Amino acid sequence: MNSPRTRFYLDKQNAKWSGVCAGIADYTGVDVTVVRIGFVLGFFLGSGMLLLAYFLIAWMAPRKPAALYLDDPDEKKFWQGVRANARRTTRDVRSRFREIDRRLADVEAYVTSSNSRLAREIEELR
Amino acid sequence: MDEVWPIVIVIPTLFIALPWLIFHYISKWKTASALTSEDEKLLDELYELARRLDDRMSTIERIVQADNPNWRSVASDPIGSALEDRSARILEGSDPVERIGRSNRPSRRN
Repeated sequence: MNSPRTRFYLDKQNAKWSGVCAGIADYTGVDVTVVRIGFVLGFFLGSGMLLLAYFLIAWMAPRKPAALYLDDPDEKKFWQGVRANARRTTRDVRSRFREIDRRLADVEAYVTSSNSRLAREIEELR
Repeated sequence: MDEVWPIVIVIPTLFIALPWLIFHYISKWKTASALTSEDEKLLDELYELARRLDDRMSTIERIVQADNPNWRSVASDPIGSALEDRSARILEGSDPVERIGRSNRPSRRN
């Protein structure tokens, strides 16, 4: 049902034990250490529910496909943003395009104006 | 017969229709909130495109910058300030060859 990049995976490459904490960290963008500390505290303070949840996740969640490991931190952050709020991230992409449009308009204005200036100067030299 | 009718109605309602209704709305809610694979592909493509265009734009801006360092003011104010005054320069060169060389260079730069 879900698209491949917005699913939850076990992150076996950065795993300490089964990759649940690393998977959560990779999914949300929270630091791995924070997630692990939270889990360990939950094991000791809470009831067995968290332990049960941990094993359930480790058993049910699929492994992360090798193709989805991203080297680029910007891209990683982008997909974490998509998982958190796809609409906002789409708006961000749109604003990037608008920014590019604005910069292109600047360059275009410069090139066209310098062309007409050149023509005028040639006219003056005659 | 009077006692059988409610059972015949109530039990299918409870065990078939109600879960059906619930799961229908659950699946509907899931498809509405989640990104479909096509959306995701489109978003990925747009993100890549934006990044490439960003890079190209930076390259172009660097080229233009190297061409004329105050090109931004030229773009915003084409007639006025950014024009360099080179009438004095043309006049000061007494040698005609040097004059051409001097007057050619800035106009090519623009």
